[in-house]
Amino acid sequence: MNPPSLNDPTSRRGFFQLTLGWLAAGFAVAASSAAAMRFLVPNVLYEPSLRFKAGQPDDYAESSVTFLEEERVFLLRQGNTFRCLSAICTHLGCTVNRASNGYHCPCHGSVFNEQGTVLSGPAPRGLEWFSVTLSKDNRLLVDKSQRVNAGQYLVL
Amino acid sequence: MNEGPLHKFYGWFTGLSLLVGGLVVVAYYKDEFRSWKDYQRHFIQEEVRRATKPQQRALAEATPVQIRQIVLPELQRVDRCTTCHLAVEDSSYGGYPQPLAYHPQHDRHPFDKFGCTICHRGQGRATTMADAHGNVPHWDAPMLPLRYIQASCGQCHQAADNPAAPELARGSQVFEANGCRGCHKLGNSGGMVGPELDKVGARRSSEWLKKHFLTPAAVTPGSGMPPQKFSEPDLEAITLFMLSQTGESVPGFYASMKVIPSANEGRRLFQQKGCIACHAIGGQGGKIAPALDDVGLRRTPAWIVQHFRDPQSVSPGTVMPRFGFTEPEVRALTEFLVHLRDQQVALSLPSLMSPVERGREIYRKYGCAGCHGTDGKGGVPNPNAKTAQQVPALTYVADGYKKDEIKKLILNGQHEITPLDPKLPPPPLYMPAWRGTIADAEFDDLITYLFSLKPKGEDLGF
Amino acid sequence: MNAPWPSRLWQRFARTRVGHSVFRVGLPHSNLERAQAMVSSFLLHVQPAKVNRHALRPTATLGLGLISLYLFFILTGTGVLLMFYYVPSTDRAYDAMKDLQFVVSAGLILRNMHRWAAHLMVLFVMLHLCRVFYTGAYKRPREFNWLIGTGLFLLTLGLSFTGYLLPWDQLAFWAITVGTSIAGYAPVVGPKLKYLLLGGNVVGQEALIRFYALHVIVLPGLAALGICIHLWRVRKDGGLARPDEPADSVQQIELSQLPTNKSYGLMELARGTTPQVGKNPEDEIFSWPHLIFRELLLFLAVVAVVLFLAVFWNAPLEQLANPIHPPNPAKAPWYFLGLQELVSYSAFWGGVVVPGLLVTVLVLLPYLDRGRAGVGRWFARERTVANTIFTVCLVVAIALTLIGSVFRGPNWSWQTPWQPPPAVVEGH
Repeated sequence: MNPPSLNDPTSRRGFFQLTLGWLAAGFAVAASSAAAMRFLVPNVLYEPSLRFKAGQPDDYAESSVTFLEEERVFLLRQGNTFRCLSAICTHLGCTVNRASNGYHCPCHGSVFNEQGTVLSGPAPRGLEWFSVTLSKDNRLLVDKSQRVNAGQYLVL
Repeated sequence: MNEGPLHKFYGWFTGLSLLVGGLVVVAYYKDEFRSWKDYQRHFIQEEVRRATKPQQRALAEATPVQIRQIVLPELQRVDRCTTCHLAVEDSSYGGYPQPLAYHPQHDRHPFDKFGCTICHRGQGRATTMADAHGNVPHWDAPMLPLRYIQASCGQCHQAADNPAAPELARGSQVFEANGCRGCHKLGNSGGMVGPELDKVGARRSSEWLKKHFLTPAAVTPGSGMPPQKFSEPDLEAITLFMLSQTGESVPGFYASMKVIPSANEGRRLFQQKGCIACHAIGGQGGKIAPALDDVGLRRTPAWIVQHFRDPQSVSPGTVMPRFGFTEPEVRALTEFLVHLRDQQVALSLPSLMSPVERGREIYRKYGCAGCHGTDGKGGVPNPNAKTAQQVPALTYVADGYKKDEIKKLILNGQHEITPLDPKLPPPPLYMPAWRGTIADAEFDDLITYLFSLKPKGEDLGF
Repeated sequence: MNAPWPSRLWQRFARTRVGHSVFRVGLPHSNLERAQAMVSSFLLHVQPAKVNRHALRPTATLGLGLISLYLFFILTGTGVLLMFYYVPSTDRAYDAMKDLQFVVSAGLILRNMHRWAAHLMVLFVMLHLCRVFYTGAYKRPREFNWLIGTGLFLLTLGLSFTGYLLPWDQLAFWAITVGTSIAGYAPVVGPKLKYLLLGGNVVGQEALIRFYALHVIVLPGLAALGICIHLWRVRKDGGLARPDEPADSVQQIELSQLPTNKSYGLMELARGTTPQVGKNPEDEIFSWPHLIFRELLLFLAVVAVVLFLAVFWNAPLEQLANPIHPPNPAKAPWYFLGLQELVSYSAFWGGVVVPGLLVTVLVLLPYLDRGRAGVGRWFARERTVANTIFTVCLVVAIALTLIGSVFRGPNWSWQTPWQPPPAVVEGH
């Protein structure tokens, strides 16, 4: 003989309570898991920022290519236009050198032209251009997280 | 075999599950809805409202709501103030109510190199207003009231006659003039009667400091420090100067900015570097090199600056060596030379002073005035001391002592001060031993000065 | 068709190929299935298929052991998460705590949960110890389980103590300074023990990393092992202690006397009792669902309490640890305050003799107490002497702890909490 059912399904109150209970418990479990996952995603980073200020426009000569060592970029000025080129070779990450009409990587010999396009060597693609804007306090603001096309530049 | 139906527990199950679910919701709410997010949305709204071109508007609307921080590993801190104070670099926000106001005068101290809390104090890592401003339990460095902000300049820059921080300079001057150093050690020198002051600015609030100046015994029971009578501006200035003594050690880049060029700093350097050996001023000094009295008229400041950097470059064939001055030193020395015509600056050179004047400087330098009064007038209370319950005045030392006796007294000090009433506690102030502190060469000038204190023409009837 | 909807939903999943590969037994509908549900589950099979009716009553044990276990789970869960941000370096630990409080999502609530659960666990382990004593559940055959329990108690104190240092604030630093100094008073081994604990002579980076290693892996590992053995032994000793246990429930099988011309199954040779042996069938209740459901309810209650505390009260965090500025007074964590009070009278008696005696008595208790009566009943008359001695010790311990926490002020002077303490002249 089967024992009487442990639950009393004919009791609507029991049904309602169970439903509500399992829903609440299920929600609590799901929400806690989601919270734990979100917990693991950092909100602040202690790495050097990808956005940095590169000084004032007038710090750069009229027609110049300036290497910013710490940030590993070149800042180019032509008249009143400003551009920023990454100095990190797309092959294996060495810092490229400025050559007479382009850039040259000392590690495996990749050669790039003034636009950053690969001319020869093992690099798979051209050097990256980064966005340059003007900050509120009149400083050049480079954002290495924003890549732009070779043709884009900041005009003052 | 049967315990009974479980459904009598369903109520408990439901209740507890709902409670747990409810608490999870409350926890989520508390975590997600932070006040800094409101401030940021407010700022974004304002930026959108002010946008004149559609791309500006799009840029403003796309601003992410996130915590912003300035990481300063050399200063060992992280400042998150810009999470709410979003317009500090934007001069168009001048006059806006906080936290959206513009922060003036940050050209020399860019935010990405200095952050905020190095000057303003507070708790940089916090993201709620009360915690960030630091007036909370268990945070010892609350924000400095704005009127004391120059105290922070003193952490990196010298205080004495700092032209960019006049309140700080005034505080330093009040400190030296009133002889606080006589009892309190600050930096390398000072007496040991009272505690060292090197970190007092980190441990005490401005209210405590002010009260301590006015009524020391009320805030420090058992203190022998006499109540100070400062004018209100002097009181504020010396409180500010005390607040600047935080003992904060700043690394390389920041410490190199110690000298804000001033003529007095130049004078000090001129003396320290021994320029007088070759260059004469006011007829005194070496004859090898040109006299410098009128150099400010003969040469431009730019020439003088370059001459300090590299004498050969502007004076080919000169024998003046390249001294390797730092830029601030160069500018200070130039200031000094350019203003040499100003009598006050020239005659303040120690080598040009008379022994009495030098002695007065020494009296001032070691803070004797703190107990014996300015110019030895006395009047500082020393309860229960036989000498009329005061630290004795020095005006009549010439009559009462020989030079050797005075020198011995200063060298050895006098720890036991005769009490007026032996039954009462002994007098708190005593004469410390200055052996090893006052240099041997300084004694003669000091005693010359002390002996000169006797009022002229008075017959004391001794 | 009669089952409630959650059961039906689950059953549909459990009968799929994937579901069936993981959960061999679906939701039980017959007694056989109820027994199978317990035995075929890795997590559940530490509990028997049937439990005695008395064990289900809340007043039998007050669920204190279970509560301690649940708190351990909560601590492990929150602790592992916190490990993703905390750095055990004297330069970074305090800043990590501040970051958890201000910039990490759910950082504050997790840290609060961890701290309150820790205090609660120490408290409930102590309460569990008292319950086991008062119900005589340490007597034969449960002596060894009492020893394991004592070990777990000391591990709990160790976990709480090692964790206490990690925030590296004034509270942490000085509490551990006081605590390790008390440890250093032990004769012969004291100073060496302190040197080993601290990795040196002062509370510094070496101490912090050692405490961290102890706190996150060594002590939890040992505790987990101890808990497994502890629960297993409850089974093997005949379940939770109850009043109508047969007097001699341990059946010894002399292996040498067994006939050798047959092979034996495991159940014939395994010593000790199983619930089916010699018990009244009407007293045996299926664990599924009666025990499981009650355990689930208790778990929900514990989570609710910990969450409630964590949401509304923040765990303390004082100023950064400063070795040259002790707070006045510097107090050990609350569970050591009684000891600290004793130490203020005499370092030797308070720091060495009394705690040494206490631990020794605890360990030897089941072997000293030969009486067999009073098992499974609260405050049994037959055990009045033992109960009285224990209660006196308990009251004294509570009193000392109270004094140490509330009635001691600067310089460990007596103070009444409702009157302001005298102004302390602070040295500069």
